Amino acid sequence: MPLDADGDTAPDDAALLARYARGDASAARALTVRLTPRAFAQAQRLLGDRAEAEDVAQEAMMRLWRVAPDWRTGEAKVTTWLYRVVANLCTDRLRKRGRSDVPLDSIPDPVDTAASPEAALQAEARRAALARALADLPERQRMAVMLRHFEGATNPEIAARLGISVEAVESLTARGKRALAQALSGQVAALGYEG
Amino acid sequence: MTRTPKPDASEWVDTLLDDVGKLPPADPRGDLMARVLADAHAMMPPPGGAQKPRDPGWRQVVRLLGGWTSVGGLVAATAFGFAVGLGGLDSVGVDLDAVWLLDGAVYVEDAEMGLGAFGWDIEETGA
Repeated sequence: MPLDADGDTAPDDAALLARYARGDASAARALTVRLTPRAFAQAQRLLGDRAEAEDVAQEAMMRLWRVAPDWRTGEAKVTTWLYRVVANLCTDRLRKRGRSDVPLDSIPDPVDTAASPEAALQAEARRAALARALADLPERQRMAVMLRHFEGATNPEIAARLGISVEAVESLTARGKRALAQALSGQVAALGYEG
Repeated sequence: MTRTPKPDASEWVDTLLDDVGKLPPADPRGDLMARVLADAHAMMPPPGGAQKPRDPGWRQVVRLLGGWTSVGGLVAATAFGFAVGLGGLDSVGVDLDAVWLLDGAVYVEDAEMGLGAFGWDIEETGA
């Protein structure tokens, strides 16, 4: 069970969602504080645009409020459900942007303001290229790769969250990364790597 | 035939994923949190949870019988059978050429009256 800011035992997300479904305003506040930053960070990492990431985070949370009365505890983790919703919303937006490379002058503000301008631009170019390539992966491959590399989840943890075997996770991750390597093979040098 | 194993993804893809994963996420602004919380309050079920509307008993009976179409057919067929059982059609001088059961209603066809729904048309004609 997670700990809250005071170190007290905090209710898990599903329990809070059940309380929200019964009209508990304090559960709404707790879920907002706990989940919105995560949804926003995930969207920001994929979209690279603060305004769009905020819209996605708000939409994902809106869907969470909507499903709350019908949520079945034990069928899925709230965070996994939300992660998937955010990933799909981001994918939709990335596909609408089109597959063309983003012109330099349209790249949003660098994420890491402490880095040099060149390094920040490089970081943003890597993020944008990876996001576009991730958007083209099948959903389960995308989820496995993102959970592994962005969330630092282990293969057994990913298996539990996606409801599949560890072997399936290994296969999905390997295939996903091979597809990424293929999709980005023409940009290796431009992204500052040696293929 | 031996299958050539597929090569693993290049190391640079792992590095790229890790590099992007390490990018510090921006903190959500206060107005985003406020908007999300406002949505939450606007969509929050009432205390005790949303009560799903319960169907009145008669509606449950209709559903059990297969819906309105089935009930309509059942009622019409019952009325028709009842009338035939009483010899009602003969007694009012109706000489039927055909009887149709269409879309849950019973129709009678007669050389003089044409096609009409049983009961209503006949009563008007016979009145």
